[in-house]
Amino acid sequence: MSLNLSQPKRKNAISLTPLIDVVFILLLFFMLTSSFVPWRIIDTPLSVATDKPKDIAEQENLILTLKSNNNQVWFEGGAIYFADQARFEQLVMDHNNGVFMIKAEVGVTLQTLLHLADQLKLHGAKSVSIANAFAMTAESK
Amino acid sequence: MKIGQKFTTKNVNNDDNMVPLINVVFLMLVFFMVAGQIRKADPIPVVPPYSVNEARAATDPNVEIVVGVDSTLYIDDKFIEINRVQAYLEQRFLEDSNQENFWVQIKADGGIPLEKLRPIFNQVRLAGLTKVSLATQLERGNP
Repeated sequence: MSLNLSQPKRKNAISLTPLIDVVFILLLFFMLTSSFVPWRIIDTPLSVATDKPKDIAEQENLILTLKSNNNQVWFEGGAIYFADQARFEQLVMDHNNGVFMIKAEVGVTLQTLLHLADQLKLHGAKSVSIANAFAMTAESK
Repeated sequence: MKIGQKFTTKNVNNDDNMVPLINVVFLMLVFFMVAGQIRKADPIPVVPPYSVNEARAATDPNVEIVVGVDSTLYIDDKFIEINRVQAYLEQRFLEDSNQENFWVQIKADGGIPLEKLRPIFNQVRLAGLTKVSLATQLERGNP
């Protein structure tokens, strides 16, 4: 009796279909869970209320006021448009030893506030403070 | 004829046609595994404000406050009333082992008016926490 021990060699021992099933599931998982937009953060350090207010008179504080979301900021009684690059450059050059404090009136959005802070930073302002815009004011309490 | 025979035997195994497909799928799989970051989804959809700021967080925030455009408030994926924020933050701060580096991230929608954010900042301040950061996303194109 002769045993046929040598099995015929099959080209594909494993079918590829289950492999693709698994790989597709993995692919779907990674496509749905991955995000490509990394978050950035802006530190807004909050000052704890103390009895003695710090003496910050040494530095000049410039108060810029946002009144609405129409891309303009009020400074010393006049409006400056965000698009007015020359005016911003002049403003930053004249007062760069001070702190640019941004205040906001009712209705101003977070995006407008950051837009203004960006404009000041892009023109080389050393110190921009947005914390004042988040401080509780008398009328918002 | 021999040539015809050759072609007919080759088409018997259908799996051979899948090899290029698998190649592509594997490439996509590797791309998403390497380039993507797996992150928890926000409890409500939030479009953070655009900014030119490029600073990234060194550590994960201890507490994440998500504020939707209709000023609904979620802390650590749970809905919370504004007047309970201070107590929650104080409790989280006391439970934390590394209080030195305890920081709060506020993820607010860009379209939210600032007066809606003020009470939240006030609550954080009342809880005695000073390390607070606002989440932004990098502005693309012309700033």
